[in-house]
Amino acid sequence: MKVKIKGWNTVAVWKWLANDDKCGICRAPFDGCCSDCKVPGDDCPLVWGVCSHCFHMHCIMKWLAAQQNQICPMCRQDWQLKSE
Amino acid sequence: MSLRPKHVNFDETWGTLRRTIEGVVTLSKVPRVEWNDRFTDVYTLCVAHPEPYTNQLYSETQTFLRKHVQALRTEIEKYESNSSLLKVYYDMWVKYSQGVEYLNKLYSYLNQQHVKKSKLSEADITYGGVTDMPGHMIEIGELGLEIWRQDMLEKIQDTLIELVLEAIRSDRRGDTAVSTTIVNGVVHSFVAVEDPKHRIPGDPHTHLTVCHPFSASPTFYEKAFEAPFLQDTGRYYQQEASKLITTCSVSEYMEKVIQKLNEEDMRARRYLHASSYGKLSSECHRRLVSDHLSALHSECRIMVENDRRQDLTNTYGLLKPLASGLNVLADTLEAHIKKEGLEAVGNLKPETAHMDFVESIILLYKKYKDIVNTVFKSDQMFISSLDKACTAVINFRQCTKNPCRSPELLAKYCDALLKKSTKGYSETEVDEKLSQSIIIFRYIDDKDVFQKFYSRNLARRLINHLSHSMDAEEAMINRLKQACGYEFTNKLHRMFTDVSVSSDLNNKFNDYLTKEGIKLPISFSIMVLQAGAWPLQQNPSPFAIPQILESSVQKFETFYGRQFNGRKLTWLHHLSSCDVKLSYTKKPYFIIMQTFQIAVLTSFETCDEMVYRDIREATRLTDDQFVRHLQSLIECKLLECDDKEFTQDSIIKLNKGYSNKRAKFRISGAVQKETPQEVEQTHVSVEEDRKIFIQAAIVRIMKSRKVIKHNVLIQEVLQLSNGRFSPTISVIKKCIETLIERAYLERTPNSADEYSYVA
Repeated sequence: MKVKIKGWNTVAVWKWLANDDKCGICRAPFDGCCSDCKVPGDDCPLVWGVCSHCFHMHCIMKWLAAQQNQICPMCRQDWQLKSE
Repeated sequence: MSLRPKHVNFDETWGTLRRTIEGVVTLSKVPRVEWNDRFTDVYTLCVAHPEPYTNQLYSETQTFLRKHVQALRTEIEKYESNSSLLKVYYDMWVKYSQGVEYLNKLYSYLNQQHVKKSKLSEADITYGGVTDMPGHMIEIGELGLEIWRQDMLEKIQDTLIELVLEAIRSDRRGDTAVSTTIVNGVVHSFVAVEDPKHRIPGDPHTHLTVCHPFSASPTFYEKAFEAPFLQDTGRYYQQEASKLITTCSVSEYMEKVIQKLNEEDMRARRYLHASSYGKLSSECHRRLVSDHLSALHSECRIMVENDRRQDLTNTYGLLKPLASGLNVLADTLEAHIKKEGLEAVGNLKPETAHMDFVESIILLYKKYKDIVNTVFKSDQMFISSLDKACTAVINFRQCTKNPCRSPELLAKYCDALLKKSTKGYSETEVDEKLSQSIIIFRYIDDKDVFQKFYSRNLARRLINHLSHSMDAEEAMINRLKQACGYEFTNKLHRMFTDVSVSSDLNNKFNDYLTKEGIKLPISFSIMVLQAGAWPLQQNPSPFAIPQILESSVQKFETFYGRQFNGRKLTWLHHLSSCDVKLSYTKKPYFIIMQTFQIAVLTSFETCDEMVYRDIREATRLTDDQFVRHLQSLIECKLLECDDKEFTQDSIIKLNKGYSNKRAKFRISGAVQKETPQEVEQTHVSVEEDRKIFIQAAIVRIMKSRKVIKHNVLIQEVLQLSNGRFSPTISVIKKCIETLIERAYLERTPNSADEYSYVA
């Protein structure tokens, strides 16, 4: 080997991988945060339901707390967090 | 002895009383027994039976005093217009006033029982506007002084006052032939003879109340003495000033004037009554300073330019009492600082522009801050002159089209200080210099431009591990936060968070590798950043990653996918770098280079010569990126090419005879230099951010106001953006237009300059 690479310092950025670019509840982009937070990122995460709809975690929590039936606001199926 | 009223023979008792009074008034010896008897006599006369002789006693005493004073006057007139008149008058006055005071005591029964009754209350005097009625009885002491005024002072006042003025004049000439005590005593006698209604008995400073706020008419002292005295003084200093101004320079003139004002102040205290101190000094000030204001003002510029601090101190002291005297000086100072500043930053060498710019402004600021503090006693007016001048210098634009460079230069200055390669500065020095840069930061209008440049530089330092110390970085951000608030440094803070989160992530990744039993061919480290928080360029070019790195990318993506749900990673290869060992050279070299550079270099694995086109295709870089990195490798002599300009068929050779004194170095820096395009880009992105900020501001205002006039809206937008940048009116108008198009607001139908919010 003429040239040997010993180490690599690399850089990457991350974005939410959502099927939509806006939260269906607060209508704010997923790149931003929900209306109660100031800073997007780890402190304002997204969650996915089994129905494949995605929301700001804070938004869906607020929605579920206000409803009697635990259903997804987009498709009215039962809301369940999609596990890994 | 009985206190009961009885028959008395007035003439007889008055006869005895009169002899004693004579003794009292001339201060000759009066035995105690005699004093006591006469005291009783006053009493008996006042309570005599069947008719009290009070009025008779009063008028007889009055006649007596008047005769006595007239006798004294006849004597004094012998000295008419003779300088010893002052002394004679003074002696007589001292004796007489003392005598009258005793007499007042002798008559205390009469004073208390009869005068008090007819005396008006203080309130009547103050508000009633009652003038003394003829035949109205006043205390004997007052009566004595009244008579002295009428029969002595008013008769000889012209001669006497002329003599006093002459005495003071000769004192000004430095000739103190006339005793201070005498002149002072005479002057104060003018105050003392005044109606003592306003005097507080027993208080030596009674004079202060002579200028009773309610006494509309001037007192005897003011009318007879003070007015001519001030006139005389004014005339004297008028002559003196015009004499001085023609013979001295302005600087000498001020020295002399200050000396004269001080002397005159001392003189006032020696001779005058306290109520005159202020009047005298303002009269002198008027003649010596106000009358020659233009001469003083004309010198301001030269004094400021030549940094004549003593003269400036003098000018400040002299002009301060005048209402608008300092304006010219403050304006001159401002203009001068501005001129000096613009000269200092006018011609900057491009390479060291940031250093020279910041340091010369700091120097300028410190110099004038010091002058403002010491010479101008931190006067608010001069502080604002300094502020205005600094703002003008720092935000100066050569032409209105180009953006101001100061924010960029300042950010670069901070970058240079915070980088590892800070030569020769100790930590405390760096710290001090950074604190100073905040001074300039506060004056910058376009703080958002600074923020943009600063955050880009910070991103570069963090990603390439170039920071000198994290403590220094954080200290600087805290300073900015203090100066401009949390919003301003929010993104910078998030960048720091990402750095620490990434270092955790690297540890977790390494644990994961060990647990899974995977061994990567290289040592791998990564920074995973939040897309929104970092001012990063998108990938500038497609890129075929060298194969050896591929497995690391795959392994990390798997790991990251398990760690976090729903996140997409984008690799920024143009920001990453490699540690590389060269083994084709005589001795091994360890080089840190960019990933794009290593991709070019690894193409030579199987051969020593390649055609331009082939390498480019192997790396899949775009032409401009490829040229840039190829060029950098040729510049540092790792590669060779005979062609000056690359063509698709240029032959690139590996330099096998490469040698360098250093075995470990970095060539990644060469391509990371900020290009003019990037600067341009930064300014463009600032413009974009501003538009978004203004639009958000407008929507926020409209949401709360619903309906608003055009001008009010502009004002409120300006207010909201104050402290970040100052938008032009035309930009705000454009933003309003955009928002109308996008149906956030509309023009109200019945008014031309009004908008309403569309919910």
